[in-house]
Amino acid sequence: MRASFVFSEVVTGLRRNVTMTVAMILTTAISLGLLGGGLLVVRTIDRMQQDYYQRVETVVYLSADISANDPGCTSSTCSALRGQLESAPGVQTVIFESRQAAFARFQRIFQGQPELLQLARPEALPASLRVQLSDPARFPSIAKAFTGRPGVDRVTDQGEYLRQLFRALDGLRNATFVIALIQALAALLLISNTIQISAFTRRAEVGVMRLTGASRWYTQLPFLLEAVVAGVVGGVLAIVGLIIGKVAFIDRVLAGVFEAAIVPRIGYADIFSVAPILLLVGSVVAALTGYLTLRLYVRT
Amino acid sequence: MIRLEHVSKSYRTSTRPALDDVTVAVGKGEFAFLIGPSGSGKSTLLRLLLREEVASTGDVYVADLNVGRLSQRRIPQLRQRVGCVFQDFRLLANKTVSENVAFALEVIGKPRHTIRKVVPEVLELVGLEGKADRMPHELSGGEQQRVAIARAFVNRPLVLLADEPTGNLDRDISHEIMLLLERINRTGTTVLMATHDHTIVDSMRRRVVELHLGQVVRDESRGVYGVSR
Repeated sequence: MRASFVFSEVVTGLRRNVTMTVAMILTTAISLGLLGGGLLVVRTIDRMQQDYYQRVETVVYLSADISANDPGCTSSTCSALRGQLESAPGVQTVIFESRQAAFARFQRIFQGQPELLQLARPEALPASLRVQLSDPARFPSIAKAFTGRPGVDRVTDQGEYLRQLFRALDGLRNATFVIALIQALAALLLISNTIQISAFTRRAEVGVMRLTGASRWYTQLPFLLEAVVAGVVGGVLAIVGLIIGKVAFIDRVLAGVFEAAIVPRIGYADIFSVAPILLLVGSVVAALTGYLTLRLYVRT
Repeated sequence: MIRLEHVSKSYRTSTRPALDDVTVAVGKGEFAFLIGPSGSGKSTLLRLLLREEVASTGDVYVADLNVGRLSQRRIPQLRQRVGCVFQDFRLLANKTVSENVAFALEVIGKPRHTIRKVVPEVLELVGLEGKADRMPHELSGGEQQRVAIARAFVNRPLVLLADEPTGNLDRDISHEIMLLLERINRTGTTVLMATHDHTIVDSMRRRVVELHLGQVVRDESRGVYGVSR
């Protein structure tokens, strides 16, 4: 009895203000969709960071003297540097790259640009000790310890370029969240408004309910459920939107990027792991909005 | 059944209290008129009994409940024991006669089989058998008030409050409504009716409590309307 009565009230309420209901659901859906998009960006960034920082190296470029005369890192200066690097904390591996090896790599990277290759001389490239850190945050201490030492030209960190990239991506993520937040505010106001209108159009019913001694649950639950329905339906639409976005947009536009493994692929598993968060946020926030609206604006 | 002890009620917007030290009691099964000009405090008194308002001072009792002290959560218990009827009927326009009556039971969670049983019974009691499926706008004013009375009575309240129930009805129809309220009173329900309809009060010869400027100025067991004013 209870449930069927309350549900029929909810359906009546949603049908009676159908335009407001649609607006409320769509705004909620867009807001949750943006939130979901933001969460997916976060996941992608996290994975990229793990992936990339594993690959980046700290490079200790060696002086011109060593570069020219020590192709095997056998001189006492070079081997001492290597030994100290290997025993420094946070260092995983140290690989010596001779001038010849550096030139060979240069040729490989720029094989598409023969004019560049013609100009290049092996003498222009320094030999280096390429250091793989177990913890990228260790770079400053390594740089401090080795810069200016005999045989060292300079110490660079490839991670610095990555940090710039990730700052840009973080900005993208933050922008998404800000838009999601603004949109969420609009959604909250719409939900609150819809409940007020709903309560107003049903003031006769609510009046009779109060006088006949209906409990607070009976008078307010229908309104609260209307808000929750909007939250849940909005959440479902947002999830559908994310799936469509993945298939129709991300997978096509970023196909090459995924192929080259520059950006990890966004899979259905990612969307489905974000989905429960969206549904939960949608329904809980809608319910809270509904509750507060009833408390503040609707006398029962 | 109803007891007010030194009850005063002031509104912030008014200098004069709406009720001023009112003490009155209506026993179980009694029928009483509450009379007085507009603004004398009749409606305020009824609103106190329903806990639509809370008395500024004094105590209000309905059945065993100290109305002013009820927690929000227990107010429904009071209202389930008190039925009420208004001048403007307050029917739900989009529900049929029987749905209107059933609504009062649905919202307090009565089981469906009970509702199916008692709604036709109470419609018969108020003389609306055969009109269960009509919409309110298809009924005359008198019939609409019968529906409202059926709705107020369907949960068998201990007390029935009526605020100018005949205010919108002509004399003959009003008389029929009074006969109906009498019939309900005979089932043991206490009836308190606010009115300024002289004819009805004079013809019924029931208890009359008269309010003037928020004070009880007369309380007669078989009164008529206007001797003093």
